[in-house]
Amino acid sequence: MIIDGNQVEEGSRLEADVCIVGSGAAGISMALDLSGRGLAVLLLESGVLEEDPASQDLYAGEVADERMHSPPDKYRQRRFGGSTAIWGGRCMPFDPIDFEARHWVPLSGWPIGYEEVARYYPLANTLAEAGACEYDADQAFDPDATAMFEGFRSTRVRTNSLERFSCPTNFARRYQKRLQLAPDLRVLLRANCTGIHLAPDGGSVRTLSVATLQGRRFSVAARQVVLAVGGLETPRLLLASRDVHAQGIGNQHDVVGRYYMCHIAGNVGSLQVAGPTSRVNHQYLVSKDGVYCRRRLSLTADEQRRLGVANMVARLHFPRITDPAHRNGVLSGLYLAKNLISYEYGKRLNDGAPPSVGNYLKHLRNVVADPLDTLGFLAHWLRKRSLAERKFPSVILRNRSNRFSLEIHGEQMPNPQSRVTLTNTPDALGLPRIQVDWRYSRLDIDSVKRTLDVFAQEFQQDGRLSLHYAEDQLEEDLTRFGAYGGHHIGTARMGDNPRTSVVDADCRVHGVGNLYVASSAVFPTSSQANPTLHIIAMALRLSAHLSAQLQARPPSQAQAPTLATEAD
Amino acid sequence: MRVLVLGASGYIGQRIVHHLQGSGWASALQASRRPVPAAHSSTGAQRLQLDTLDLGSLSAALAQVDAVVNCVAGSAHAIAEGARLLAAAAAAQATSPRIVHMSSMAVYGAQEGTVTESSPLDPTLGWYAQAKCEAEAHLRQHAQAGHPVVMLRPGCVYGPGSELWVGRIGRLLLNSRLGDLGEAGDGWSNLIHVDDVCAAVLAALHLPCSAGIAPTYNLSAPDSPRWNQYFLDLALAIGATPVKRLRYRRVALDAKLAGPMLKVGEKLMQAAGLATSDLPVPISPSLLKLWPQQIFLDPSASLRGLNLHLTPYGEGLQQSAAWFASTHRTATSRHTSA
Repeated sequence: MIIDGNQVEEGSRLEADVCIVGSGAAGISMALDLSGRGLAVLLLESGVLEEDPASQDLYAGEVADERMHSPPDKYRQRRFGGSTAIWGGRCMPFDPIDFEARHWVPLSGWPIGYEEVARYYPLANTLAEAGACEYDADQAFDPDATAMFEGFRSTRVRTNSLERFSCPTNFARRYQKRLQLAPDLRVLLRANCTGIHLAPDGGSVRTLSVATLQGRRFSVAARQVVLAVGGLETPRLLLASRDVHAQGIGNQHDVVGRYYMCHIAGNVGSLQVAGPTSRVNHQYLVSKDGVYCRRRLSLTADEQRRLGVANMVARLHFPRITDPAHRNGVLSGLYLAKNLISYEYGKRLNDGAPPSVGNYLKHLRNVVADPLDTLGFLAHWLRKRSLAERKFPSVILRNRSNRFSLEIHGEQMPNPQSRVTLTNTPDALGLPRIQVDWRYSRLDIDSVKRTLDVFAQEFQQDGRLSLHYAEDQLEEDLTRFGAYGGHHIGTARMGDNPRTSVVDADCRVHGVGNLYVASSAVFPTSSQANPTLHIIAMALRLSAHLSAQLQARPPSQAQAPTLATEAD
Repeated sequence: MRVLVLGASGYIGQRIVHHLQGSGWASALQASRRPVPAAHSSTGAQRLQLDTLDLGSLSAALAQVDAVVNCVAGSAHAIAEGARLLAAAAAAQATSPRIVHMSSMAVYGAQEGTVTESSPLDPTLGWYAQAKCEAEAHLRQHAQAGHPVVMLRPGCVYGPGSELWVGRIGRLLLNSRLGDLGEAGDGWSNLIHVDDVCAAVLAALHLPCSAGIAPTYNLSAPDSPRWNQYFLDLALAIGATPVKRLRYRRVALDAKLAGPMLKVGEKLMQAAGLATSDLPVPISPSLLKLWPQQIFLDPSASLRGLNLHLTPYGEGLQQSAAWFASTHRTATSRHTSA
C-alpha cells in the first residue's frame, strides 16, 4: 500500500518489523525483497513521484569549495525512487581486489569477501534492468568481433571488463505497483525522518520521529531500522540525532561523515591507433537480452598489486568538448545546447573557462560545417534516446580518425580529512543542513598516472597503439570538474574496528542493536565501479540478513506487530 | 472409466484425450463440433461429431460415459449456454456423470494481487470472462443439486503445441512487436504446462466430491515468472534477439491499429480456406490488459488437493522453444536475417 504521510494520525505511533528510511535504489530493492517473508515493512519516503521543490530543498546545503564538489541538492533527488529518477544507469560490479586489505590503500579491506556480495548481483541486475549478470565482455560477446583493439593482447591490461546499462530504470515508476499491491508493505510518502531516538542506554533505536512539510508529526517504532538515504544523508541523520550521544549516533570515535569519497574522473591524453578505423571498437554493444554494454580498459588485479595502485577504469572517449578545435559539429552542438541540458548532465560541458563570443562562433561554425553528421546524430538521439524506453546511454561519435582521449573513472584513497559535517543552518523541518568538504590527494592522481603508464607501455609493445598524456596537466584534467557527481561513498564506513568504522560486517551501526545502513555510505573503499549496482546488491544482502534475524527471533507478542496505528 | 471430452479438437482437449488413453484406466470419447482430423485419431480414441448446444445428442453421448470433461471454447453462447445444457443433460441421466469443467483465471476479472479459489468472481473483464463466470454459475447450481462437479481454473496453458502462449508470443517476439515491456509486462504469467493441466483433469476424475459442493482449483505453476521474464526467456530460446525494450504505447498502438485489420483478414482467409500462419499475429485488447495485470493465481490448493507434480518452468520453456523452432520456419535469429 502507498499512502500519504499526511493521512497518518497526528502524534500516533506506527509499528513495523522493519522500517526502511528512504525509497531509492536501496530502499525499494530491500522492501521488495523483504515482502512475502511474513514481516510488516514500513518504507518512509520524503517526497512523491514527481520532483517537489519544497522536498528537494531539504537536501540543500553548503560545499567547502564549489569547484571541487556540486551543491548537495544536485545529483540526488529527494523523491519516491530517489536519485534513480535521474541516474545514468551505468552498472558494474566491484572487483574481488576491492575487498582486499591493500597496504598501499590506507584503511582498505572490507570485513566481508567479494563472494558475499557477488551472489546478490544477479538479482540486483534484474531489479536495475541491466540484463544478465555477465560482466566479462569476452563471455557476453564474440571476443574477436567485438575486441576493443583488434589483435591487442596483454597480460597486464584488460579490455574485457564490461559495463552494462540500466534503462535507466526509475525504481519508483517501475516498481510502484508491486509496492502498492504487496499486503505486507506500507509506503508512506511525504514522510521525513527527522530524528533517530535511542533507548537511554544507547544500545537500540526506540523510535524514529517523522514529519511532513505540511505539519503532521508522528513516530515509528520498528524492530529493525534501516537508513537507506544515501551517502550524504546518512551522516546527516546520524550526526543530528544527539539525544543520547552528544556527538551523534555511531560517532563515538568521530568517524561518521569522514572518509568521504567520490571518484576521480576526467578526460586525459591522446590515444592514436594505427590502421583502419574498423580495428577499433569504441561503440556500445547490444547484448542478446537487449542491454547496452561497453568495454573498458583496466589493469589486472595482479598488476594493481605489483604497482600498488588504486583500482581504475578508462573508456575510449572523444576530444574535449569545450575546445572547438575538434571541428566536430555534434560536439559543438552539444556545447551550444549545454544550457538546455540538466545540471547533472551539462556539468562536464562547462569547464570553468568563461565562454567567449569567439569561442561560441567557432562552435557554431563547426555545426554549420558539419550539417549531415549533426543531423544524423540528432535523428539517432531522438530515436534511440529521447523516444526510447531503453535509452542509448551517452554520446558516442563515429570514429573517423582512430584518435581518442581516455575517460578515467578511478578509485579514491580513504581520507579522514574529506568529510561531511553539520552546519548551524536548519532546513524547513529543523534538521541541520550539511557542509561537504570533499578532498582528493596526490596519491589519487599518482595512481591514475602509474596506471596510464602501464597502458602506454602495453600499447607501445603492441606497436599499433600509442598513448600520450601531459604529466604536468594530469591533475588539472582529473580535477577540472571536481569530484565525479552523485557517487557519495564512505561516510559511515564498514569495518570491524569501531575506531575506524561506523557499521559492522552486517551493516549494523556499532553499538546499536537494531540500526542498519543500506547505502554507499558503508563502502570503506570506492572501487572503480559506479556505486548503484553494488548498493542494490548490498541492500539485498542486508534484507536477507534482517529477515533471517527476525524470523529466528519472533516478537514477544503472540503475533507479529501489525501495521495498525495506535495512539501514543 | 469412459470419459467424454467436449471440445476435443482444441489444444487442451487433444492433450487430455491423449493422456486419458495412456492412463490405463480410462478411455476417451472425443467429441467436437467439427469433424476431428484423422491425424488425431492415433490415440485410438473413439470420435464423435457433436453439437454441444443440441440437448438431445448431448444426452445421448452422456448416456455412454461415466464422466465428462468440458473444454468447450468458442463463442460466449457456446461457453455459457453449453454449460447450462451440459448440466441439464447430466442431471437427466440415471446416474449423473461427473463433470470436470475447464474454467479459466478470467473469472477473477481485473483483480490484482494473490487470488485464491475463494476470491470473488468478477465478470466485467469482457465477454469471455462473463461467459466463463456464467458457465461456472450453471455448474455450481448443478453441484448444489447434488451432482458431482470439479472446476479447474487454469492460468495460461503453454507447452509444445500451444499456439496461444508459445506460437503467437514467439512470432511477436521474432517480429520485434513484443519484448520487455517494463512495468507494462510486470504481471504474473501464471503459466501452467499443458501436461500438468491434463494431470489435474485425471486427478479430478477421481477426486472425492461431497454433495452440494464443486471442488474448485486454480492451476498455475508457482515458479512461472512475470511476463517480461517469459518474453525474455522465450526470445533467447528461439533466437529472437536482441530482445527489444518496448514502450507500452507502441504495443497498444499496434493492437489498436493493426489488431482489428489483422483479425478481419484472418477470418476472411479462414473463410476462404487459406492458411493464416503467414499472416502477422494480431495483438488483442485482452492481451494488452493481461500483461500489466499483477494477478497471482495461488496454486497451493491444487498442489495439495490434486497432488500435482508440476513441470519445472525451465523444462516447459525448453520444450516449448523446441516445438516452436520445429514448426515455425521463420524462427531464425533476426541477426542472421538482417
